[in-house]
Amino acid sequence: MNLKFQNKKITGILTVLPENEVNFDDEIDNYDFSRAQSMKLKLIMGYGKRRVVKEGTTISDLCIYGLNYLFDNGLLKKEDIDAIILVTQSPDHFVPATSHIIQGKLDLKKDIICLDINQACSGYPVGLNQAFMQLEQEEVNKVVVLNADMMSCKVSAKDRGSRPLTGDAASITIVENDTSGSTIYGTVNADGKGAEALIIPAGGFKMPSTPKTAELVTDKNGNSRALDHLVMKGDDVFNFVQREVPPMVERLLDKAGKTKDDVDYFMFHQPNKFMLKKLADKMGISYDKMPNNIVENFGNSSGVSIPTNITHNLGEKLLKEDFLICLAGFGAGLSWSSLLLNLGSLDFCETIDY
Amino acid sequence: MEEFKNSIAEILEVDSVSLSDELESFDAWDSLAVLSIIALFDTTYNVALTAEDINNAKTISGLQELMENHQ
Repeated sequence: MNLKFQNKKITGILTVLPENEVNFDDEIDNYDFSRAQSMKLKLIMGYGKRRVVKEGTTISDLCIYGLNYLFDNGLLKKEDIDAIILVTQSPDHFVPATSHIIQGKLDLKKDIICLDINQACSGYPVGLNQAFMQLEQEEVNKVVVLNADMMSCKVSAKDRGSRPLTGDAASITIVENDTSGSTIYGTVNADGKGAEALIIPAGGFKMPSTPKTAELVTDKNGNSRALDHLVMKGDDVFNFVQREVPPMVERLLDKAGKTKDDVDYFMFHQPNKFMLKKLADKMGISYDKMPNNIVENFGNSSGVSIPTNITHNLGEKLLKEDFLICLAGFGAGLSWSSLLLNLGSLDFCETIDY
Repeated sequence: MEEFKNSIAEILEVDSVSLSDELESFDAWDSLAVLSIIALFDTTYNVALTAEDINNAKTISGLQELMENHQ
């Protein structure tokens, strides 16, 4: 579905990374890899350093830390926040919504919209879409979009396909009304028939966690997982991304009357280096316009990899300059989404450690 | 056809391959090789394969059939 928003803008982006860093080289013995395989995986997939939370840390901790950083540095005022939209699949609890927990702990005003959105790797554009819609309300002037996930806790230590790629992170994006007559174009898509391509089978109401769902089972590729763990059909996900993302971006650009050359940067979700390079090849986009270095530096933090990509790779540039940016997210659901917007002259665009 | 065999040889990290070679006989045969073949078929031949298709192909000749059947 095509979306269009008038007079909305992003005014600041902050990424919060847990300072705890795990290096693939230190973990190699966990996996049944030969030395040659390990070297190849580092080079091709981008296995490297990743940031993961320490036990006991939750996504609300990361979000609250980041918001307090903004309050303390005069970059955001508590009383100005009219809505909090939190995109996550690792909430503190099933009940209540984590956005409410954050609102309460920070003593934010009660005259506020709090909304959790259950989306994974395509969640960042989806959360921004919701923020743009909230801003249509007369009394909503500033929306905080939080995107946070800590899936490292849900990936088996003996899953060599997913574990070395997975990281945790949170991001805070401020969205406001704009008077410049700008237009933001977007798309959202869903295919629930592919629900099992990326799934945590147990732990919800359909299959509650029990000692049985925690038992490790080894698959034919030698990876051991429990039903409580995230399981990904890598080949299905690869084919899905190659099939759906290039035409989605074509349609988006077409609607906006722009070409690929008009776009300064394609800031995409970061599943792994290999998939991003293949995507760039298929779309005929040079690698320097589509960064693919987030997994090797921080890990794939689901939807948060898009704001991490922006603050890490464009950071200070976005304080002074303006760019036409295409965002795209794709993953569990299946879900895929995109946005085309002018981004720049931000109040802040940085990465901090928790 | 030589181009196809050369691409497969590159993925399997050998100088050349024969049609009768079994995929599992290569030292470099692993999940990354499977993914690389999926990507090769997607970008070069516009064919979407699953890991199962490739494992069922068993040999280089089996891979070649996958390519021909989809054209």
